[in-house]
This record gives sequence, structure tokens and C-alpha cells, in this order.
Amino acid sequence: MAFTLQRRSFLQLVMGTLTGTAATVSAPFVRAAPAADAATIGWPNDVPSWDPNQRFTPDAQPIFKAVFDQPLDQDPQLKLIPHLIKSWSLAPDALSMAVELRGDVTFHNGDKMSTEDFRYTFFERIKSGTKLDTANSWRKVDDIVIESPTKATMKFNAPDPTAPQWMAFLGSYIVPKKYIETGGLDNFIKKPVGTGPYKLAEYELNSRIVLERNDAYWGPKANVARVTIEIIKDPSARVAAIQSGQADLTVNLPVREVQRFQSEGSFAAEIDPITRVILLNVRADLGFSDKNVRLAAHHAIDKAALSTAFYGGAAVPLSVFATPGTPGYLPDFKFPYDPDLAKQLLAKSGFGPDKPAKIGFATTNGQFPSDYDIARAIVQMWKKVGIDADLQVIEYAKYFELNRGNKLPEATLYSWDNSTGDPEIFSGYMLNPKMPFSPWKDQDIGNRTLALFNIADYDKRIAGYRELERYAVENGACMPLLQSVVTLVRKKNLAYTRYGNGWMLPQTLRWS
Amino acid sequence: MIATIAKLIARRLLAAIPILLIVSALLFCVLRLLPVDPAAMSLPPTATIAEIEAKRRDMGLDRPLPEQYLIWLKAALHGDFGRSIALGREAGSLVALTLPATIELALSAMAIAAVLGIGGGLLLFHLRGSWLESVADLASILLLSIPEFLWGLILLFVFGVVLHALPFTGEVSPSLPQPHITGFLLLDSLLIGRLDIFASACRHLILPAFALGLAFSPAIMRVLRSSLFDVYHEDYIAQARLRGLTERQILLGHALKNAALPTITLAGVQFGILFSGTLLVEVIYSYPGMGNLMVDAVRNADLPLIQAIGLTYCVVVLLINTLVDSLYVVLNPKLRVH
Repeated sequence: MAFTLQRRSFLQLVMGTLTGTAATVSAPFVRAAPAADAATIGWPNDVPSWDPNQRFTPDAQPIFKAVFDQPLDQDPQLKLIPHLIKSWSLAPDALSMAVELRGDVTFHNGDKMSTEDFRYTFFERIKSGTKLDTANSWRKVDDIVIESPTKATMKFNAPDPTAPQWMAFLGSYIVPKKYIETGGLDNFIKKPVGTGPYKLAEYELNSRIVLERNDAYWGPKANVARVTIEIIKDPSARVAAIQSGQADLTVNLPVREVQRFQSEGSFAAEIDPITRVILLNVRADLGFSDKNVRLAAHHAIDKAALSTAFYGGAAVPLSVFATPGTPGYLPDFKFPYDPDLAKQLLAKSGFGPDKPAKIGFATTNGQFPSDYDIARAIVQMWKKVGIDADLQVIEYAKYFELNRGNKLPEATLYSWDNSTGDPEIFSGYMLNPKMPFSPWKDQDIGNRTLALFNIADYDKRIAGYRELERYAVENGACMPLLQSVVTLVRKKNLAYTRYGNGWMLPQTLRWS
Repeated sequence: MIATIAKLIARRLLAAIPILLIVSALLFCVLRLLPVDPAAMSLPPTATIAEIEAKRRDMGLDRPLPEQYLIWLKAALHGDFGRSIALGREAGSLVALTLPATIELALSAMAIAAVLGIGGGLLLFHLRGSWLESVADLASILLLSIPEFLWGLILLFVFGVVLHALPFTGEVSPSLPQPHITGFLLLDSLLIGRLDIFASACRHLILPAFALGLAFSPAIMRVLRSSLFDVYHEDYIAQARLRGLTERQILLGHALKNAALPTITLAGVQFGILFSGTLLVEVIYSYPGMGNLMVDAVRNADLPLIQAIGLTYCVVVLLINTLVDSLYVVLNPKLRVH
């Protein structure tokens, strides 16, 4: 006799168990229309910690800038402007910098900000042994002499010509001395107190950050009273969030998705070039010991084609390691795409399509948009002129270890972010043999670079870097490819202020 | 029976000690063999080579690997799993903070997988011999071939984007506060008597839990059906029919109980896999659990955090195995005798 389960019994069995779940589903999810004083942002990364001095994380800077203030700021064109510091004066020898702070600034807990907090942030905390990334950027600070609650002088043990730039760069946020010393660091990280335009109202690790407007802010008040930052790491989920209305604005979407949004026209979708450079970091030895091979490799790359294929043409092809509009940029210097010249250079060194020069080539996959695809396209471009590249994928986290162990191949695809736009933080850091970024180890260019770190005069320093950039590219020490882009999609009636370095600051959001 | 289960749990806990030691040693060695430098990574990129070397000495990375492991083990036994390189916080506290969300998600997913699996298994069994059997069989194979992250994207698209029926980011609506008592949001919202938070948390849980549950239900479905086939060939089923029991009584009173044993074994194994499946699903749904944390840790090569999370996964799997074995004792009288 065959077993027969009655349909009704079966449905009762399954559906009965599902009833509890269905009860919660039955209340339909209705996304409330955005209030004029609230906005939700889909953001790709959480902050590493709520101690803004602790870790250098470029993606977290816009969030930190909402809760904390930096001594100096940058305008949308990246010009250095006063902020908590009203005025500053770098000594001609760059061994000291006098600053005058605003006297009308209070922390979110009501404590007045003064030079005591300034000294604590940039000197006392660092010397106390707290593990901070700022200990590295401000390692030259010998002391900070307090002259009054608003006036102080920073003393450096070696020339620090980019001290003003660093006042508006990674990790440089003034933190409250009294609050940290009395409540402890753990309490500060749990309940951070800054002087910024927003207070941190709520924080859930890897989930969301809720900011509430600081009505006692010393500067222009934020337009939107409550900003919720949803941490949405998956790009597809960020696309879905904006499309479904669960986010009002989101960033770092795939270029193809942004182009789709642009063609559909229902959202404002942008692909904006920023102060981030995609480049090839190269070695001076192995298969690249021959300058002709290095220059041929550079001439063989069609940067405009890469931009069109992977960034919708928005990424600007670069000839120097600086972006347009920044002090180190050389608008008149062009390193041409010329495959014929590349073949001639290779032929001079005995290479050609029949006898290709063999090199190793490393890339990340997913570290920045289309990185692996760009690397594959370059391999094909090189193949056409007679360079046979063995492509390997590396994790970004392993880059520094591989470089330290001298294990990087001849070329590595790399992305370099410099929100200040200063040339020291572009080519200065990249070509400095004492720093861990570049695999290029060559005494000539290394010495030229190191000399620039001690020049205090701004104009002379910038001129030096411009010369270095040209020299490095002409010698094949550096192969800048493209000015990278940032993508952003928002509701059409939600505006924000666009910055040349890609910052999307919550305090600039406004509904229309 | 309770004494048998207690003995079993005690045996399992004793066996867990060497297993955890071996797993921790393996994890430690494998992570140290990776071409990453924890010292360099714990410093900003502007650090000089000399500073990195000093940091390496400070972290004890210049010592032999066994010595490094013993130092780590001693600290771990005191509850110190090191500090996350990327987040600068205690790895143990980060795990403690995120584990409850993952447990809630995994348990919800397992409940969904069990309901769908048992329901589907009964349906497949019910349809045997009919023309619908092959259709249902094909459908179950199709379901089996869809991984959890694909379910995640499909459900997100259908219920989140097209139908606007369910939220798909985070753990609770941004307009609601998040209570922190036990760390288990559903429980905490009930403890403070906030049904609105409970309902919101349930709605946020539905899509990720279904994404995981749907991926794991087909296996349960197919094993249950096969087990029922086997059980229905046993003599006691024929005898039950001779005693005049209805088919429903036979199924619920005899067949299902016996067919459940291999299904529970499978569910136990599946739960371990399901737990690791939370990694991608949590990222897709921005769910603030341990899987999400693990993905970040791997991306940043955050060795102390990977080690702490890896060990937690191991503990969870060992606990599940113990639970499954205990359930076996409850369901199988023979085991109680032996």
C-alpha cells in the first residue's frame, strides 16, 4: 500500500511552521520618504576606530571630518585654508611653525578647545607611547610651546616643509585632552567627542553610523540634521540600496553601473577624476635594468584607450606623477603613446616581437576599480611591441612585505591617493628610497628626492619636484598611467559639494 | 538518558582540548607563513624600514616560530587574542561583539533550512511514483546547485529592489535604537519590551536567513526523502500497517523519527558549512556579524583577528557536533544502552 500524505496535511505541516515567520513578513517594509533634515548614505567602509589619530585610512576621512576638525582644511579646489588654526607661519628653515587657534571652538561635551588640546594631539599623545599612526607623520615634532590658549609654536628636530599640508591630511584631527585623560581612551573610542559639525549619535560596528548635527558648531552649520551612514561593502548591494531608495546617496559603484544610471536619468550619477593616480611602480634591475626596455614599456601603453575601456573616458591620462590642478603637475610635458618608438627602443637593446623582453608584472584584483582588467590590457599592449609579461595577482596587504624582501617583479600596478595634492606626497614619497612604497632603488633619483625633503621654501620645493617628476619619467623610474576616478550616485534633489580629492563630506549635503 | 548525555558532553569537551590546540597551532603556523608582515602592517605606510624592524622586534616576530606560538598561546589562555592590526582593538572583544549577530543569523537560517528541507523532503516522498516526481527531483537539484551568495543577490534584487518588500542592509531600521544587553538583538529587543525593534530586526533578518537557508535546504530535502524510502522498506512499517495505523500515524509516529537520524547528522555537518556561509551573505546584506569581520580581516591580512575568528569557528563546529551527538542519544535508544 502506497503512503499518501493528504495535501491538506502537508500544507498544514509546512505552513504552520512558517506562520511565525510570515507574521513578521506580513508587516510590509515601507521605506519612509526622506525627511528634509535626514539623509542616508551607502558607504563602502567602516571607520577603523573612533580615535581619528590612530590609523591612516583615506576612505574614512570624510566621516572623521564630520565628527572631528582638522587644524587646517582644504577648499574644494584643494587650496589650504584656515580652520581650527586661524593663521600659521612656517619658519624659513622649516624647523618651527607658529600657529594661532580660534578661540570660539568647543568640543561636543562643552569643553573649550585650546592649545592644550593641540599640544596633546600632536605631541603628548605621541610621546606617551599610544600606538598612533600620527606618531609617524609627526615624528619630527620636538615640542609644542604654548604661548597662550590660542597661540603655540611647533618645534621640529628636522625641517618639515609639508607640516601645513599634513595639518589637513590623514589622521590630523584635534582630540580633547581633558576628556581622554579623565575618561580613558576606551571611553573616548566608545563615545568620541570632537569639535566637528556633527556629533556621533550611534555606532554599530560594520553596520551603521548615525550623525546628528552639532548646533553649537563654530563654523557653518550642517544643512541636514541627521545623517545615517550605512556600511554597505558589496558594490552590488550599494547599487541596490540607491535603486530601492534605502540610500539617498552612495559612492564607489562600478563605472558600468554609473553609466547605466546616467543613461536612465532617474538619478544624478557622476564619474569624477580625483587626486589619485594609477601608475606602474617599477624596479631598476632584473628585466628592467635596461632603460630602453623601461621606456619602451611606457611608450607602449595606450592610456587613453585604458580610460575609455575601464573608466568611461573620465580618467585623465597622465605623463607625470601628479594630477591636473595640483602644484606638481606639468601641463606641457607629454610622454606619448608611441608603439613604433617602443619597438625601436626595444630593437636597440636586441628585443622585438620575435625575441621579446621578458618581465614579471604584478597586480591587485579588486583593490581599485578594474585593476586586474587594466593589467591584462597592458600585457596585451606590451606583447604587440615585444615585451612578454608574466602577470601575477598579489594581495595589496602583501605589497609592502614583498617590496621589503625585494620580491616584487619588474612592474606592479598601483594606486596612490594624495588628498593634499602636494608633490612631496606624490613623487616625494614614491621615489624616496627610505620609504617603503616604491621598488625603484637607485641612488641618483633617490638622492635627488631626499634633497627635496629639506627645502623649506615653497616655490623652490615645488620647482624641484616638477623637475624630479620629469626626470623620473624620462628615465623610466616611474610610469604614471591615469588620474583615477571616484563614482557617486545620488537622488537628484540631494546636492553636495564636490572636492578635487573625492571627499564627500556629510556636512555639505543639502536637499532641494 | 541525562547521565549518558552528560558523559558524552564531558568526553567531547575533553577531546576538544587537543583539537583546539592543534587547530590553533596550525592556524598560527599557516598565517605566519603567509608573505605578510604584521609589523609593517601595524605601522602607517610612511614608516621607515628601521621603524618596521624595531616594531618587529617589539612584537617578538624575530623569535623562532614555536616560541612565538607559545607566547600567543599563553596570552590566549588568559583571554588575550592580540590586537587587530587594522582596527587597533582587542581581537577577542571584536569577536564577542559580532558573534551574537552571526549566531542569530545562522540559527534562523538553519530553522528555515530545516522547515524547507523537511517540508520539501516530505513533498518529494509524497510525489514518488507520480509524473511530478521527476519535476520535483529536477527542481531540488536546481536548488542544490545555487550557492548562498547567489540566493543572496537574487532575493535582494527581487524583494529589495523590485518589490521594495524587505530591507536588505544592516540589522535594524536606522530610525530605531539598537539595545545592547546580551548582544543578541532579537532577545535584547524583547528584554526591553520593544516589539518595534524586534519586528524590524526580524524583517532585516529574513533575506539573509532565507539566502542561507535556501542554499542548505535541498540537501536536507534529498537525504530525508532517501531515508524515508529506506525506512518504508523496514518490517516495522508493514507491521504498523497490519496493526491498522493510519499512514499519517505511521509517518509521524515511526517513519519520520527513524528517517530523522541521518538527516540530523547531515544537518549537523551542514550547520558548520552554513556558519562559514555567513561570510559572503553578511557582506551582501551588510549584516554586522563575524563573517563580515572575517572578510575584512582576510582583506587586510589582519592575522590576530583571523586567528581569533578561525578559532571561534572551530569552537562552534565542535559545539554543534556535541549537540548533534546528544540529539542522537535522545532519538536513538540503542545508543543509550551502549
